[in-house]
Amino acid sequence: MTKDAKGNPPLGRVIVITSGKGGVGKTTSAAAISAGLAKQGFRTVVIDFDVGLRNLDMIMGCERRVVFDFINVIQGDAKLKQALIKDKRLDTLSILPTSQTRDKDALTKEGVEQILTELKTEFDYIVCDSPAGIERGAQMAMYFADEAVVVTNPEVSSVRDSDRVLGLLSSQTRRAETEGAEPIKAQVLLTRHDQTRIDSGEMMTVEDVLEILAVPLLGIIPESKAILKASNVGTPVVLDGPSAAAQAYEDAVARLTGSQIEMRIAGERRPGLFQRLFGRAS
Amino acid sequence: MSDRYARTPDDPMPARVAALQVRGRFLTVLALRVDPQALGGRLYAQLDDQLSKTPQFFSGAPVVLDLGNASQPGDLAPLRDLVENLRQRELRVFGVQNAAGLGPDALQSLGLIAVSTGRDAPMPRAAGPSRAAEKPRPVQNKVIRSTVRSGQMIVAENGDLTVIGSVASGAELVAAGNIHVYGTLRGRAMAGAHGDEDAHIFCQSLNAELVAIAGLYQTSEAIEEAARNRCTHIYLEDEKLRMEVIA
Repeated sequence: MTKDAKGNPPLGRVIVITSGKGGVGKTTSAAAISAGLAKQGFRTVVIDFDVGLRNLDMIMGCERRVVFDFINVIQGDAKLKQALIKDKRLDTLSILPTSQTRDKDALTKEGVEQILTELKTEFDYIVCDSPAGIERGAQMAMYFADEAVVVTNPEVSSVRDSDRVLGLLSSQTRRAETEGAEPIKAQVLLTRHDQTRIDSGEMMTVEDVLEILAVPLLGIIPESKAILKASNVGTPVVLDGPSAAAQAYEDAVARLTGSQIEMRIAGERRPGLFQRLFGRAS
Repeated sequence: MSDRYARTPDDPMPARVAALQVRGRFLTVLALRVDPQALGGRLYAQLDDQLSKTPQFFSGAPVVLDLGNASQPGDLAPLRDLVENLRQRELRVFGVQNAAGLGPDALQSLGLIAVSTGRDAPMPRAAGPSRAAEKPRPVQNKVIRSTVRSGQMIVAENGDLTVIGSVASGAELVAAGNIHVYGTLRGRAMAGAHGDEDAHIFCQSLNAELVAIAGLYQTSEAIEEAARNRCTHIYLEDEKLRMEVIA
Protein backbone atom coordinates (compact mmCIF):
# COMPACT_ATOMS: atom_id res chain seq x y z
CA MET A 1 0.00 0.00 0.00
CA THR A 2 2.86 2.37 0.54
CA LYS A 3 4.56 3.99 -2.41
CA ASP A 4 7.57 4.79 -0.31
CA ALA A 5 9.39 6.94 -2.81
CA LYS A 6 12.11 8.05 -0.42
CA GLY A 7 14.00 4.94 0.36
CA ASN A 8 14.25 4.85 4.14
CA PRO A 9 11.87 7.41 5.55
CA PRO A 10 11.89 8.12 9.27
CA LEU A 11 9.46 5.70 10.82
CA GLY A 12 7.00 7.39 13.09
CA ARG A 13 8.38 10.91 13.27
CA VAL A 14 6.05 13.09 15.32
CA ILE A 15 5.57 16.65 14.01
CA VAL A 16 3.50 19.14 15.99
CA ILE A 17 1.86 22.05 14.18
CA THR A 18 1.51 24.76 16.79
CA SER A 19 1.43 28.55 17.20
CA GLY A 20 0.08 29.78 20.51
CA LYS A 21 -2.19 32.31 18.83
CA GLY A 22 -5.46 31.22 17.25
CA GLY A 23 -6.54 31.82 13.68
CA VAL A 24 -3.06 31.90 12.17
CA GLY A 25 -3.59 28.77 10.08
CA LYS A 26 -2.56 25.79 12.20
CA THR A 27 -5.28 23.44 11.04
CA THR A 28 -5.01 24.55 7.40
CA SER A 29 -1.26 23.98 7.59
CA ALA A 30 -1.65 20.62 9.35
CA ALA A 31 -4.02 19.49 6.60
CA ALA A 32 -1.79 20.78 3.81
CA ILE A 33 1.44 19.42 5.29
CA SER A 34 0.01 15.97 6.03
CA ALA A 35 -1.54 15.78 2.56
CA GLY A 36 1.75 16.97 1.07
CA LEU A 37 3.69 14.27 2.94
CA ALA A 38 1.19 11.62 1.88
CA LYS A 39 1.38 12.85 -1.69
CA GLN A 40 5.12 12.24 -1.62
CA GLY A 41 4.42 8.66 -0.64
CA PHE A 42 4.96 8.80 3.11
CA ARG A 43 2.45 6.97 5.24
CA THR A 44 1.01 9.88 7.18
CA VAL A 45 -1.58 10.32 9.91
CA VAL A 46 -2.87 13.66 11.13
CA ILE A 47 -4.29 13.91 14.66
CA ASP A 48 -6.67 16.64 15.82
CA PHE A 49 -5.73 17.69 19.39
CA ASP A 50 -8.32 20.47 19.53
CA VAL A 51 -10.72 18.50 21.72
CA GLY A 52 -14.13 20.16 21.85
CA LEU A 53 -13.53 22.39 18.82
CA ARG A 54 -13.23 19.75 16.13
CA ASN A 55 -12.19 21.33 12.83
CA LEU A 56 -9.59 19.19 11.13
CA ASP A 57 -12.11 16.65 9.84
CA MET A 58 -13.99 19.43 8.06
CA ILE A 59 -10.85 20.83 6.43
CA MET A 60 -9.99 17.28 5.38
CA GLY A 61 -13.53 16.70 4.14
CA CYS A 62 -14.27 13.64 6.23
CA GLU A 63 -16.62 15.02 8.88
CA ARG A 64 -19.44 12.70 7.84
CA ARG A 65 -17.31 9.63 8.27
CA VAL A 66 -16.43 10.19 11.94
CA VAL A 67 -17.71 7.36 14.12
CA PHE A 68 -15.14 6.97 16.85
CA ASP A 69 -12.58 9.59 17.85
CA PHE A 70 -9.23 10.16 19.56
CA ILE A 71 -10.84 10.43 23.01
CA ASN A 72 -12.78 7.17 22.54
CA VAL A 73 -9.46 5.47 21.87
CA ILE A 74 -7.74 7.09 24.88
CA GLN A 75 -10.56 5.95 27.12
CA GLY A 76 -10.59 2.45 25.66
CA ASP A 77 -14.04 2.70 24.13
CA ALA A 78 -12.76 2.00 20.63
CA LYS A 79 -9.74 0.51 18.93
CA LEU A 80 -7.34 2.80 17.11
CA LYS A 81 -8.15 1.08 13.79
CA GLN A 82 -11.83 1.91 14.25
CA ALA A 83 -11.15 5.60 14.83
CA LEU A 84 -8.67 6.15 12.00
CA ILE A 85 -10.30 7.48 8.83
CA LYS A 86 -8.62 6.72 5.54
CA ASP A 87 -8.51 9.60 3.12
CA LYS A 88 -10.38 8.93 -0.11
CA ARG A 89 -7.94 10.87 -2.29
CA LEU A 90 -4.64 9.55 -0.95
CA ASP A 91 -4.34 6.01 0.34
CA THR A 92 -1.25 6.92 2.37
CA LEU A 93 -3.16 9.50 4.41
CA SER A 94 -5.22 8.86 7.54
CA ILE A 95 -7.06 11.18 9.87
CA LEU A 96 -7.60 10.70 13.59
CA PRO A 97 -10.44 13.09 14.44
CA THR A 98 -11.17 14.38 17.89
CA SER A 99 -14.28 14.63 20.01
CA GLN A 100 -16.60 17.61 19.73
CA THR A 101 -18.44 16.82 22.97
CA ARG A 102 -15.52 16.42 25.36
CA ASP A 103 -12.87 18.89 26.49
CA LYS A 104 -9.10 18.99 26.78
CA ASP A 105 -9.12 17.39 30.25
CA ALA A 106 -9.95 14.11 28.53
CA LEU A 107 -6.38 14.05 27.18
CA THR A 108 -3.97 12.12 29.35
CA LYS A 109 -0.24 11.91 28.87
CA GLU A 110 -0.31 8.12 29.13
CA GLY A 111 -3.19 7.82 26.67
CA VAL A 112 -1.52 10.09 24.13
CA GLU A 113 1.78 8.27 24.48
CA GLN A 114 0.13 4.89 23.99
CA ILE A 115 -1.65 6.00 20.83
CA LEU A 116 1.48 7.61 19.40
CA THR A 117 3.50 4.48 20.11
CA GLU A 118 0.92 2.41 18.29
CA LEU A 119 0.79 4.82 15.33
CA LYS A 120 4.58 4.85 15.04
CA THR A 121 4.54 1.21 13.97
CA GLU A 122 2.31 1.99 10.99
CA PHE A 123 3.10 5.50 9.88
CA ASP A 124 6.16 7.44 8.72
CA TYR A 125 4.89 10.80 9.85
CA ILE A 126 2.48 11.60 12.65
CA VAL A 127 1.25 15.19 12.35
CA CYS A 128 -0.29 16.63 15.52
CA ASP A 129 -2.61 19.59 14.97
CA SER A 130 -2.35 21.61 18.18
CA PRO A 131 -5.15 23.78 19.55
CA ALA A 132 -4.48 27.46 20.13
CA GLY A 133 -3.22 28.57 23.52
CA ILE A 134 -0.62 27.00 25.78
CA GLU A 135 -2.94 24.98 27.99
CA ARG A 136 -3.41 21.26 28.29
CA GLY A 137 -4.42 20.54 24.70
CA ALA A 138 -1.43 22.37 23.28
CA GLN A 139 0.91 20.86 25.88
CA MET A 140 -0.27 17.34 25.05
CA ALA A 141 0.12 17.98 21.33
CA MET A 142 3.73 19.13 21.69
CA TYR A 143 4.92 16.90 24.53
CA PHE A 144 5.98 13.88 22.48
CA ALA A 145 7.02 15.77 19.35
CA ASP A 146 10.29 15.23 17.50
CA GLU A 147 9.81 18.25 15.31
CA ALA A 148 7.73 21.39 15.53
CA VAL A 149 6.28 23.64 12.88
CA VAL A 150 5.46 26.98 14.47
CA VAL A 151 2.84 28.71 12.36
CA THR A 152 3.24 32.49 12.51
CA ASN A 153 1.62 35.46 10.82
CA PRO A 154 3.83 38.46 10.16
CA GLU A 155 2.35 40.58 12.92
CA VAL A 156 3.56 41.33 16.45
CA SER A 157 1.08 39.42 18.61
CA SER A 158 1.43 36.26 16.57
CA VAL A 159 5.22 36.51 16.68
CA ARG A 160 5.25 37.03 20.42
CA ASP A 161 2.97 34.03 20.99
CA SER A 162 5.13 31.92 18.71
CA ASP A 163 8.14 32.94 20.73
CA ARG A 164 6.38 31.82 23.89
CA VAL A 165 5.58 28.47 22.27
CA LEU A 166 9.21 28.06 21.20
CA GLY A 167 10.15 28.57 24.85
CA LEU A 168 7.72 25.84 25.89
CA LEU A 169 9.02 23.51 23.19
CA SER A 170 12.49 23.84 24.63
CA SER A 171 11.39 23.32 28.23
CA GLN A 172 8.06 21.51 28.61
CA THR A 173 8.44 18.54 26.30
CA ARG A 174 9.74 15.01 26.66
CA ARG A 175 12.82 15.75 24.62
CA ALA A 176 13.54 18.77 26.81
CA GLU A 177 13.04 16.74 29.98
CA THR A 178 15.12 13.78 28.85
CA GLU A 179 18.77 14.18 29.71
CA GLY A 180 20.97 14.04 26.62
CA ALA A 181 18.12 13.96 24.12
CA GLU A 182 18.36 16.03 20.99
CA PRO A 183 16.10 19.06 21.37
CA ILE A 184 12.97 19.38 19.27
CA LYS A 185 13.75 20.68 15.81
CA ALA A 186 11.59 23.76 15.54
CA GLN A 187 10.97 25.69 12.33
CA VAL A 188 8.74 28.61 11.58
CA LEU A 189 6.11 28.56 8.84
CA LEU A 190 5.12 32.07 7.91
CA THR A 191 1.50 32.15 6.76
CA ARG A 192 -0.78 34.86 5.38
CA HIS A 193 2.23 36.57 3.89
CA ASP A 194 1.14 39.63 1.92
CA GLN A 195 3.94 41.54 0.21
CA THR A 196 1.82 44.62 -0.49
CA ARG A 197 0.88 44.93 3.19
CA ILE A 198 4.49 44.43 4.19
CA ASP A 199 5.58 47.11 1.71
CA SER A 200 3.03 49.52 3.16
CA GLY A 201 4.33 48.82 6.66
CA GLU A 202 1.17 47.11 7.93
CA MET A 203 2.96 43.80 8.43
CA MET A 204 6.35 42.75 9.69
CA THR A 205 8.99 41.73 7.22
CA VAL A 206 10.22 38.15 7.03
CA GLU A 207 13.61 39.25 8.32
CA ASP A 208 12.09 40.91 11.37
CA VAL A 209 10.11 37.80 12.25
CA LEU A 210 13.11 35.52 11.86
CA GLU A 211 15.32 37.86 13.84
CA ILE A 212 12.95 37.70 16.78
CA LEU A 213 12.19 33.99 16.64
CA ALA A 214 15.74 32.89 15.83
CA VAL A 215 14.75 29.54 14.32
CA PRO A 216 15.01 28.33 10.71
CA LEU A 217 12.32 29.22 8.21
CA LEU A 218 10.34 26.29 6.82
CA GLY A 219 8.34 28.22 4.28
CA ILE A 220 6.38 31.31 3.39
CA ILE A 221 2.72 30.77 2.52
CA PRO A 222 1.10 33.68 0.69
CA GLU A 223 -2.27 35.06 1.69
CA SER A 224 -4.51 33.38 -0.85
CA LYS A 225 -8.13 32.94 -1.77
CA ALA A 226 -7.26 29.41 -2.82
CA ILE A 227 -6.83 28.47 0.86
CA LEU A 228 -10.27 29.72 1.86
CA LYS A 229 -11.85 27.99 -1.11
CA ALA A 230 -10.07 24.71 -0.38
CA SER A 231 -11.17 24.83 3.27
CA ASN A 232 -14.76 25.42 2.28
CA VAL A 233 -14.88 22.40 0.01
CA GLY A 234 -13.03 20.23 2.53
CA THR A 235 -9.88 19.65 0.55
CA PRO A 236 -6.32 20.27 1.73
CA VAL A 237 -4.99 23.10 -0.42
CA VAL A 238 -2.22 20.98 -1.94
CA LEU A 239 -4.84 18.64 -3.41
CA ASP A 240 -7.09 21.40 -4.69
CA GLY A 241 -5.57 22.34 -8.00
CA PRO A 242 -2.50 24.48 -8.64
CA SER A 243 -2.13 27.70 -6.71
CA ALA A 244 0.67 29.78 -5.27
CA ALA A 245 -0.31 28.64 -1.77
CA ALA A 246 -0.30 24.97 -2.79
CA GLN A 247 3.15 25.40 -4.31
CA ALA A 248 4.42 27.09 -1.16
CA TYR A 249 3.11 24.24 1.02
CA GLU A 250 4.67 21.65 -1.29
CA ASP A 251 8.00 23.45 -0.97
CA ALA A 252 7.64 23.52 2.81
CA VAL A 253 6.86 19.79 2.90
CA ALA A 254 9.90 19.07 0.75
CA ARG A 255 12.08 21.03 3.18
CA LEU A 256 10.51 19.15 6.07
CA THR A 257 11.66 15.89 4.53
CA GLY A 258 15.17 17.20 4.12
CA SER A 259 15.26 18.56 0.56
CA GLN A 260 17.11 21.79 -0.11
CA ILE A 261 14.70 24.08 -1.89
CA GLU A 262 15.28 27.72 -2.48
CA MET A 263 13.01 29.99 -0.48
CA ARG A 264 10.70 32.01 -2.68
CA ILE A 265 7.79 34.27 -2.09
CA ALA A 266 4.97 33.62 -4.48
CA GLY A 267 2.56 36.48 -5.01
CA GLU A 268 -0.92 35.42 -5.99
CA ARG A 269 -1.40 38.24 -8.43
CA ARG A 270 2.05 37.96 -9.87
CA PRO A 271 2.54 34.27 -10.59
CA GLY A 272 5.90 33.55 -12.08
CA LEU A 273 7.53 36.54 -10.49
CA PHE A 274 9.52 34.94 -7.70
CA GLN A 275 11.40 37.16 -5.43
CA ARG A 276 14.54 35.67 -4.18
CA LEU A 277 14.97 35.82 -0.50
CA PHE A 278 18.52 36.06 0.77
CA GLY A 279 20.01 32.82 2.02
CA ARG A 280 18.23 32.42 5.28
CA ALA A 281 16.52 29.22 4.25
CA SER A 282 16.78 26.21 6.47
CA MET B 1 -17.25 38.02 73.46
CA SER B 2 -16.86 40.58 76.22
CA ASP B 3 -19.63 41.86 78.43
CA ARG B 4 -17.45 44.60 79.80
CA TYR B 5 -19.43 47.35 78.14
CA ALA B 6 -22.78 45.58 78.24
CA ARG B 7 -25.75 47.80 78.90
CA THR B 8 -27.78 46.94 81.99
CA PRO B 9 -31.07 48.53 83.13
CA ASP B 10 -29.24 50.15 86.07
CA ASP B 11 -26.40 51.51 84.02
CA PRO B 12 -27.56 52.65 80.62
CA MET B 13 -24.17 54.03 79.66
CA PRO B 14 -21.91 51.62 77.86
CA ALA B 15 -18.82 52.85 79.60
CA ARG B 16 -17.84 55.45 82.12
CA VAL B 17 -15.01 57.85 81.81
CA ALA B 18 -12.49 57.10 84.52
CA ALA B 19 -11.21 60.02 86.55
CA LEU B 20 -7.75 58.57 86.43
CA GLN B 21 -5.86 56.80 83.77
CA VAL B 22 -2.39 55.44 83.97
CA ARG B 23 -0.40 55.41 80.77
CA GLY B 24 3.23 54.72 80.02
CA ARG B 25 5.05 57.48 78.17
CA PHE B 26 8.29 57.56 76.36
CA LEU B 27 10.06 60.84 76.55
CA THR B 28 13.02 61.96 74.60
CA VAL B 29 15.42 64.09 76.58
CA LEU B 30 18.79 65.58 75.92
CA ALA B 31 21.54 64.09 77.99
CA LEU B 32 24.33 66.54 78.70
CA ARG B 33 27.50 64.78 79.64
CA VAL B 34 29.76 66.99 81.70
CA ASP B 35 32.85 66.37 83.69
CA PRO B 36 32.21 67.79 87.15
CA GLN B 37 35.92 68.41 87.55
CA ALA B 38 36.04 70.61 84.47
CA LEU B 39 33.29 73.01 85.32
CA GLY B 40 34.25 76.50 84.43
CA GLY B 41 34.50 79.12 81.74
CA ARG B 42 35.53 76.76 78.98
CA LEU B 43 32.40 74.65 79.41
CA TYR B 44 30.07 77.64 79.19
CA ALA B 45 31.90 79.00 76.17
CA GLN B 46 31.45 75.68 74.35
CA LEU B 47 27.86 75.40 75.48
CA ASP B 48 26.99 78.91 74.28
CA ASP B 49 28.67 78.15 70.99
CA GLN B 50 26.53 74.99 70.62
CA LEU B 51 23.37 76.81 71.60
CA SER B 52 23.94 79.63 69.13
CA LYS B 53 24.24 77.11 66.29
CA THR B 54 20.85 75.53 66.85
CA PRO B 55 18.86 77.70 69.22
CA GLN B 56 15.46 76.14 68.43
CA PHE B 57 16.70 72.69 69.17
CA PHE B 58 17.83 73.46 72.70
CA SER B 59 15.30 76.07 73.74
CA GLY B 60 13.04 74.63 76.43
CA ALA B 61 14.45 71.17 75.96
CA PRO B 62 14.22 68.74 78.87
CA VAL B 63 17.75 67.90 79.93
CA VAL B 64 19.33 65.21 82.04
CA LEU B 65 22.83 65.81 83.32
CA ASP B 66 25.17 62.89 82.88
CA LEU B 67 27.95 63.13 85.41
CA GLY B 68 29.78 60.13 84.09
CA ASN B 69 29.99 58.44 87.51
CA ALA B 70 32.61 60.80 88.83
CA SER B 71 33.77 59.26 92.05
CA GLN B 72 34.16 62.56 93.83
CA PRO B 73 31.52 65.08 92.96
CA GLY B 74 33.09 67.34 95.55
CA ASP B 75 30.88 69.92 97.14
CA LEU B 76 27.57 70.81 95.61
CA ALA B 77 28.38 74.45 94.83
CA PRO B 78 29.80 73.99 91.30
CA LEU B 79 26.96 71.64 90.41
CA ARG B 80 24.37 74.07 91.73
CA ASP B 81 26.12 76.76 89.71
CA LEU B 82 25.96 74.59 86.58
CA VAL B 83 22.24 73.86 86.97
CA GLU B 84 21.57 77.56 87.50
CA ASN B 85 23.55 78.44 84.40
CA LEU B 86 21.78 75.84 82.27
CA ARG B 87 18.37 76.97 83.43
CA GLN B 88 19.30 80.54 82.57
CA ARG B 89 20.02 79.30 79.06
CA GLU B 90 16.47 77.93 78.77
CA LEU B 91 17.53 74.33 79.26
CA ARG B 92 15.08 72.54 81.57
CA VAL B 93 17.37 70.43 83.69
CA PHE B 94 15.28 67.96 85.65
CA GLY B 95 17.44 64.94 86.37
CA VAL B 96 20.88 63.50 86.71
CA GLN B 97 22.35 60.30 85.47
CA ASN B 98 25.37 58.38 86.69
CA ALA B 99 25.63 60.48 89.82
CA ALA B 100 26.72 57.77 92.24
CA GLY B 101 28.22 60.26 94.66
CA LEU B 102 25.04 62.30 95.15
CA GLY B 103 22.54 61.33 97.79
CA PRO B 104 18.79 61.84 97.50
CA ASP B 105 18.93 64.86 99.79
CA ALA B 106 21.52 66.58 97.69
CA LEU B 107 19.44 65.97 94.56
CA GLN B 108 16.33 67.23 96.33
CA SER B 109 18.11 70.44 97.21
CA LEU B 110 19.06 70.93 93.56
CA GLY B 111 15.50 70.17 92.42
CA LEU B 112 16.65 67.15 90.42
CA ILE B 113 15.68 63.51 90.27
CA ALA B 114 17.92 60.53 89.64
CA VAL B 115 17.28 58.96 86.26
CA SER B 116 18.46 55.41 86.25
CA THR B 117 17.36 53.98 82.96
CA GLY B 118 17.80 55.20 79.46
CA ARG B 119 20.07 54.36 76.63
CA ASP B 120 22.04 56.81 74.55
CA ALA B 121 21.02 57.23 70.96
CA PRO B 122 23.94 56.11 68.82
CA MET B 123 26.54 58.71 68.20
CA PRO B 124 26.69 59.85 64.60
CA ARG B 125 29.39 57.88 62.82
CA ALA B 126 30.52 56.91 59.37
CA ALA B 127 28.24 54.50 57.54
CA GLY B 128 31.18 52.39 56.46
CA PRO B 129 31.70 49.98 59.35
CA SER B 130 28.07 48.77 59.56
CA ARG B 131 27.95 47.91 55.85
CA ALA B 132 31.26 46.12 56.08
CA ALA B 133 29.97 44.14 59.03
CA GLU B 134 27.27 42.52 56.87
CA LYS B 135 28.31 39.14 55.63
CA PRO B 136 28.92 39.46 51.89
CA ARG B 137 26.94 36.99 49.76
CA PRO B 138 29.02 34.63 47.69
CA VAL B 139 28.85 35.91 44.12
CA GLN B 140 27.30 33.50 41.64
CA ASN B 141 27.18 34.74 38.09
CA LYS B 142 24.95 33.19 35.47
CA VAL B 143 25.49 32.82 31.74
CA ILE B 144 22.66 31.86 29.37
CA ARG B 145 23.82 30.70 25.96
CA SER B 146 20.51 30.87 24.13
CA THR B 147 17.68 33.15 23.18
CA VAL B 148 15.43 33.97 26.12
CA ARG B 149 11.87 33.42 24.92
CA SER B 150 8.68 35.26 25.75
CA GLY B 151 7.32 34.06 29.09
CA GLN B 152 10.69 32.88 30.39
CA MET B 153 12.17 34.42 33.51
CA ILE B 154 15.87 34.13 34.29
CA VAL B 155 17.07 35.08 37.76
CA ALA B 156 20.66 35.51 38.92
CA GLU B 157 20.02 35.67 42.65
CA ASN B 158 23.58 36.50 43.72
CA GLY B 159 25.47 37.95 40.83
CA ASP B 160 25.62 39.07 37.24
CA LEU B 161 23.47 37.71 34.44
CA THR B 162 24.84 37.41 30.93
CA VAL B 163 22.70 36.37 27.99
CA ILE B 164 24.39 35.37 24.74
CA GLY B 165 21.38 35.82 22.49
CA SER B 166 18.33 38.00 22.31
CA VAL B 167 15.70 38.54 24.98
CA ALA B 168 12.20 38.43 23.56
CA SER B 169 9.39 40.76 24.43
CA GLY B 170 7.55 39.22 27.36
CA ALA B 171 10.71 37.68 28.83
CA GLU B 172 12.21 38.82 32.12
CA LEU B 173 15.78 39.07 33.38
CA VAL B 174 16.48 39.68 37.06
CA ALA B 175 19.95 39.95 38.58
CA ALA B 176 21.44 41.06 41.87
CA GLY B 177 24.33 42.49 39.90
CA ASN B 178 24.81 43.63 36.32
CA ILE B 179 22.94 42.40 33.25
CA HIS B 180 24.65 41.92 29.90
CA VAL B 181 22.72 41.04 26.76
CA TYR B 182 24.70 40.09 23.67
CA GLY B 183 21.73 40.48 21.38
CA THR B 184 18.60 42.58 21.27
CA LEU B 185 16.90 43.32 24.58
CA ARG B 186 13.16 43.42 23.88
CA GLY B 187 11.87 42.15 27.21
CA ARG B 188 12.41 43.39 30.75
CA ALA B 189 15.73 43.69 32.55
CA MET B 190 16.03 44.38 36.26
CA ALA B 191 19.57 44.79 37.59
CA GLY B 192 20.54 45.44 41.20
CA ALA B 193 17.50 43.51 42.38
CA HIS B 194 18.67 43.63 46.01
CA GLY B 195 19.07 47.39 45.86
CA ASP B 196 22.56 47.69 44.45
CA GLU B 197 22.60 51.14 42.89
CA ASP B 198 25.96 50.44 41.28
CA ALA B 199 24.48 47.76 39.02
CA HIS B 200 24.54 48.36 35.27
CA ILE B 201 22.70 47.03 32.23
CA PHE B 202 24.44 46.57 28.91
CA CYS B 203 22.80 45.44 25.70
CA GLN B 204 23.77 45.30 22.05
CA SER B 205 20.46 46.71 20.93
CA LEU B 206 18.01 48.38 23.25
CA ASN B 207 14.34 47.83 22.55
CA ALA B 208 13.28 46.90 26.08
CA GLU B 209 9.79 46.93 27.52
CA LEU B 210 11.25 47.96 30.85
CA VAL B 211 14.67 48.50 32.37
CA ALA B 212 15.26 48.89 36.11
CA ILE B 213 18.24 49.37 38.39
CA ALA B 214 17.76 49.03 42.14
CA GLY B 215 14.03 49.42 41.71
CA LEU B 216 14.18 52.60 39.64
CA TYR B 217 12.60 51.77 36.34
CA GLN B 218 11.75 53.18 32.94
CA THR B 219 9.28 51.71 30.49
CA SER B 220 9.77 51.60 26.76
CA GLU B 221 7.85 54.83 26.32
CA ALA B 222 10.40 56.69 28.39
CA ILE B 223 13.43 55.19 26.72
CA GLU B 224 15.29 57.91 24.93
CA GLU B 225 14.96 57.84 21.15
CA ALA B 226 18.69 58.28 20.83
CA ALA B 227 19.31 54.97 22.56
CA ARG B 228 16.63 52.94 20.80
CA ASN B 229 18.00 49.99 18.84
CA ARG B 230 21.50 51.05 19.79
CA CYS B 231 24.22 49.43 21.81
CA THR B 232 23.50 50.95 25.19
CA HIS B 233 24.86 51.17 28.70
CA ILE B 234 22.27 51.92 31.39
CA TYR B 235 23.25 53.05 34.86
CA LEU B 236 22.05 55.11 37.82
CA GLU B 237 23.25 58.64 38.39
CA ASP B 238 21.70 60.93 40.97
CA GLU B 239 18.76 58.55 41.36
CA LYS B 240 18.03 58.71 37.65
CA LEU B 241 18.48 56.12 34.94
CA ARG B 242 21.01 57.23 32.37
CA MET B 243 21.23 55.66 28.94
CA GLU B 244 24.46 56.04 27.13
CA VAL B 245 24.99 54.83 23.58
CA ILE B 246 28.37 53.13 23.61
CA ALA B 247 28.75 51.93 20.04
